[in-house]
Amino acid sequence: MAASIFSSNPTLASGPNYSFSQAANNAAAGVKEHSFYPYTDNGGSTLGISGSDFAILAGDTRSTSGYNINSRYAPKVFKIGGDDETGEGAHIVLSVVGFAADGQALKERLDTIVKMYKYQHGKNMSVKACAQRLSTILYQKRFFPYYVHAILGGIDDEGKGSLYSYDPVGSYERESCRAGGAAASLIMPFLDNQVKNNNQYIPGSGEGHELVARKAEPLPKEEVVKIVRDAFTSATERHIEVGDGLQMLVATKDGIEEVYFPLKRD
Amino acid sequence: MFLARSEYDRGVNTFSPEGRLFQVEYSLEAIKLGSTAIGVATGEGVLLGVEKRVTSSLLEASSVEKIVEIDQHIGCAMSGLQADARSMVEHARVESQNYSFHYNEPLRVESCTQAICDLALRFGEGAEGEESIMSRPFGVALLIAGIDEDGPQLYHAEPSGTFYRYDAKAIGSGSEGAQDGLQKEYHKSLTLAEAETLVLKTLKQVMEEKLDSNNVQLASVTREKGFRIYSDEEMSDIVSRLPTN
Amino acid sequence: MPGFDFSNHNRNVALHAQGVPLPKATSTGTTIVGCIFDGGVVIAADTRATSGPIVADKNCEKLHYIAPQIWCAGAGTAADTEFTTALISSNLELHALSTGRKPRVVTCMTMLKQHLFQYQGHIGAYLVVAGVDPTGVGLFTVHAHGSTDKLPYVTMGSGSLAAMSVFETQWKQKMTREEAVDLTSNAIQAGIFNDLGSGSNVDVCVITSDKTTLMRNHIKPNEREQKQRSYKFARGTTAVLNEKIITKEEISKYVTVHELSSDDDVVVVEKMDIDS
Repeated sequence: MAASIFSSNPTLASGPNYSFSQAANNAAAGVKEHSFYPYTDNGGSTLGISGSDFAILAGDTRSTSGYNINSRYAPKVFKIGGDDETGEGAHIVLSVVGFAADGQALKERLDTIVKMYKYQHGKNMSVKACAQRLSTILYQKRFFPYYVHAILGGIDDEGKGSLYSYDPVGSYERESCRAGGAAASLIMPFLDNQVKNNNQYIPGSGEGHELVARKAEPLPKEEVVKIVRDAFTSATERHIEVGDGLQMLVATKDGIEEVYFPLKRD
Repeated sequence: MFLARSEYDRGVNTFSPEGRLFQVEYSLEAIKLGSTAIGVATGEGVLLGVEKRVTSSLLEASSVEKIVEIDQHIGCAMSGLQADARSMVEHARVESQNYSFHYNEPLRVESCTQAICDLALRFGEGAEGEESIMSRPFGVALLIAGIDEDGPQLYHAEPSGTFYRYDAKAIGSGSEGAQDGLQKEYHKSLTLAEAETLVLKTLKQVMEEKLDSNNVQLASVTREKGFRIYSDEEMSDIVSRLPTN
Repeated sequence: MPGFDFSNHNRNVALHAQGVPLPKATSTGTTIVGCIFDGGVVIAADTRATSGPIVADKNCEKLHYIAPQIWCAGAGTAADTEFTTALISSNLELHALSTGRKPRVVTCMTMLKQHLFQYQGHIGAYLVVAGVDPTGVGLFTVHAHGSTDKLPYVTMGSGSLAAMSVFETQWKQKMTREEAVDLTSNAIQAGIFNDLGSGSNVDVCVITSDKTTLMRNHIKPNEREQKQRSYKFARGTTAVLNEKIITKEEISKYVTVHELSSDDDVVVVEKMDIDS
């Protein structure tokens, strides 16, 4: 057999000899299907709460793929429309969680749009306008979506804290609080109870169905920061993709303040 | 001089040695042939007024459209080649709808004017050699009236692509005389009703025909009602309260 | 009939065909390691149990008793590691009784691999078997399909690569007991911090010819910090629609009621005696 002369591998002498141009087709009869999946889940969680004169967006800083940690400090919350390096001058905050590459691309796109808007229209984009613009950006990619859960925050025209949350294809709503990402299902019920006072009644206010439900009252900024920290330390305890660090962007009339707290690294 | 001009006044994209674009300058001349249009900005809103040249008794006066709506809060009056104005207004309307679709708020009056002026320069060849839509500059000027968060505003846009904001401005064949009239009469605390008589009075002075409620048209942009063209009844009321002389 | 009950198999296949997903088993996406030293062997494990991305147990035990001087660290499906080690432990005890000798680590390893091979990998148990017997020190890994290895240092589970990187850089021959405990602890910590399937604390078990020492929570590098807020609700915050009081007299009609004198009498869960 001619092949055996050229083969240096004795185990292959009687079998096929491979070349790059003609790889062995060991597959059984049938068409081999190749596929490319363009998305990955990079884990992590985000959360936003708006108050009477502030809005807080927070996210953990862990980036994962499978059981691996890509980075212990990969921000998920961003200042929009400010200086590229320092973020100075920004008045809008955005958090993105899900597929990190799409999140990054979305943030870059919104950031340039907000900057261009100021040049074209000679004023800062309002949070309401930015919210609608983000929705159209997302919907424009209806059939190849940005795989992210986005939350947008800032101060509205009346000086009140405002928060908008989005699905990946642009459906959005203004809300008082929202959790996104891997631990959203763990954090959201906690927020419903602690921010909106759901499932809480005023003791002794009535019998049975007459019992009066506790109304949501605006929380001071300091308390909201505490709620956010407890939400993330708890999510870190019970969700493997959450941890390493907690980054918070606090938007007020005076600008955006950044706060960082370390989280457990296991 | 005249010989030199004939060399350089053909191409829309060729400067003359003196640094002039003759075709653009000629387009400004076209406006001077147009019917007079006046805009006056007051604290209550902006008023637009035009003379309709009803050249024949067989012409249906209502088909002469020289004031049009761009959006609920922006309108414009035109003087010059009306057909050119149509494509400018169409562009402005698309721009305004596109803006509110993307931003969930009305387009600013200045941004609208800028959008129109961007279009005004798209004549001649494209920079990359691509096909251009327009072969010559527009032959029309616009008075753009609108209201936004900065209050009532009036802009004047020319075929050259430049625009300025005015308190009161007249364009068209009678613009020189009308502008003088406005200069004398205008003051910051003008009410909208005073502006109505001021506009009609000024038009009356520069019109060749005798002014009546059929050969002039008024429109206003106010915070309460947005852009609105005055009805025949309103026109007759205002014309009847004009001082007779 | 001993063995597994397959009576629901056909029904489950039918359900699966209709698109009903399989219930998620608790898996110990884990870091487990073992290392021999001069005079004994040490095995160690992390204490995180997961169900998908959720932490099911923050402080579970992955070090399983087989015989007084044979212990097993388990990764894979939690139930499989627990039942397989318990089954082999029982059989090894019976074997020891009938032979009148101390059980050997190779025997344990052989029983495990034969059991797992029989089930063709469907029993998802990945084990590190370690112990000291009259023939000397033994350290093995057993995979779910039945293959085994005999090595001086071993790692298994999702954190095996992180842990192995520590062994490959720091392991040396003829270590002392303390050195071996530190090395295995470091290997587990590499898993705890770098593998998401592993976390919480380090459990260590040291086996020498004369003693077995289980060091439960030998290192606790992941204690939770204090919460920022108090989550105490005022009494009456939860709505009560109706209320029914069952008296002691009433309930004693159905069950026997024992009076407890004080809180100190609360039954303490039986503690295993591991040193023999």
